[in-house]
Amino acid sequence: MQKGLATRMTVADKGKKSKFEEEGTDHIDGELVVSIEKLQDIQDEIEKVNEEASDKVLEVEQKYNEIRRPIYSRRNEIILSIPDFWLTAFLSHPVIADLITEEDQKILKYLISLNVEDFKDVKSGYSITFNFSPNPYFEDSSLTKTYSFFDEGITNITGTTIEWKEGMNVANGGVHEKERGKRPFSEESFFSWFSETQQKNLAEGFSDEVAEILKEDLWPNPLRYFNNKGSDFDNEDESGGDEDGEADGT
Amino acid sequence: MAADKSKKAKVAELGAEGEPETVDGELVLSIEKLQEIQEELEKINEEASEKVFEVEQKYNEVRRPVYVKRGDIIKNIPDFWLTAFLSHPALGDLLSEKDQEVFKFMQSIEVEDFKDVKMGYSITFNFTENPYFEDTKLTKSYAFADEGTTNISGTKIRWKQGMDLLANGNVQETKGSKRPFVEESFFSWFNENLQENLSGVMDEVAEIIKEDLWPNPLKYFNNEIDEDDFDGEDDEEETDEDGEEDDDDDED
Repeated sequence: MQKGLATRMTVADKGKKSKFEEEGTDHIDGELVVSIEKLQDIQDEIEKVNEEASDKVLEVEQKYNEIRRPIYSRRNEIILSIPDFWLTAFLSHPVIADLITEEDQKILKYLISLNVEDFKDVKSGYSITFNFSPNPYFEDSSLTKTYSFFDEGITNITGTTIEWKEGMNVANGGVHEKERGKRPFSEESFFSWFSETQQKNLAEGFSDEVAEILKEDLWPNPLRYFNNKGSDFDNEDESGGDEDGEADGT
Repeated sequence: MAADKSKKAKVAELGAEGEPETVDGELVLSIEKLQEIQEELEKINEEASEKVFEVEQKYNEVRRPVYVKRGDIIKNIPDFWLTAFLSHPALGDLLSEKDQEVFKFMQSIEVEDFKDVKMGYSITFNFTENPYFEDTKLTKSYAFADEGTTNISGTKIRWKQGMDLLANGNVQETKGSKRPFVEESFFSWFNENLQENLSGVMDEVAEIIKEDLWPNPLKYFNNEIDEDDFDGEDDEEETDEDGEEDDDDDED
């Protein structure tokens, strides 16, 4: 291996056209070879340290994911006693609100909870689940979209294929046609998001704005958005609504 | 929406009567409990962030002396950083012909996190004395402030007379073309102090140097050597030992 390295170095010397040409003695080549080998050793050492660091960081994230899990469960239970909580939060989010049609809103009234969950090891992916009570739109009780990250930046995306009830498929213009009659092309339903499983552009890396917003923004603190909407309503109500947006009647 | 309107109505009722209806009271209570949970989550998230920073800080300290050792070894490899930089697929392209001449005087690249990892880092190019500028160090620093903004500052290069690569049309050589075309110099990077955006996306060059080149420059340095060696067709020079491109002989 040392010989091979020396050979490669000689070639590189010629290629680089640098100081080597003036000092092409064996002695210098030998030193150079040794230096590069020592450098390789150091790189190996650094790599080990980096891997250790990554593992430790992952451990921390996994530990805190476990700590958060029961809290999210408790939170879900509390949210059950707040009617239309998630729907309200969605409609208060500047980006998500734009994606929800009037028809979607009717469907989302049956949304009882949202669940965002990392895979056990955190780094290989996560899923976003919408849980619904029985409703006239589709058979499913939950709709899930899952993102799996593999090496080399490959992402596998899967989403529930919604079992729409007869004539209810909003994602393909079913109900719209009934309601609007003449319009051949209707607004895109939010629910089409579940069937968007093509990775847009491998070179650009993973990008699913809705997923990112749900996971990084809404899921961690939906109350912030819910309260926004709550305070809007209060302001509209001149007759004795609170100004600071808190939903207590005092 | 129906549900919200009824919520509104119920809250109004509460105010009027002064005595909580069960449903109203429940709603209020639920929202308060939710608020508490959110605060609990926030505390946990802060704790998690702290712990992650602690780990990163600890390993930065572990790496520091290793990088120093590495710097010493690299001093014995002429043109190491120059070669690695040029061999990097993205970075190499950023150097104009003139830039490359200046870069021959580049001795080393250093990336250093601020003592408190959260606070930022700097990238320094060390140069020997050269005919282009007075400075021996060109540094670009990124300081992270609390609100998520980044304060970026770069050395104001003290160009020697007539050598300013950033002055339009001065020393830029166009390859025989008559057009007053000025090739963008890599050195303009030191002047770029604009934050890309508030969510912390920094300029790509910094990211590439810090996350890619700095951790393992040998990978790129070696790339160049291997290319000369194994890239059979393009290689006009003798590569006697391998003879891989020479199919006249025995086997492959």
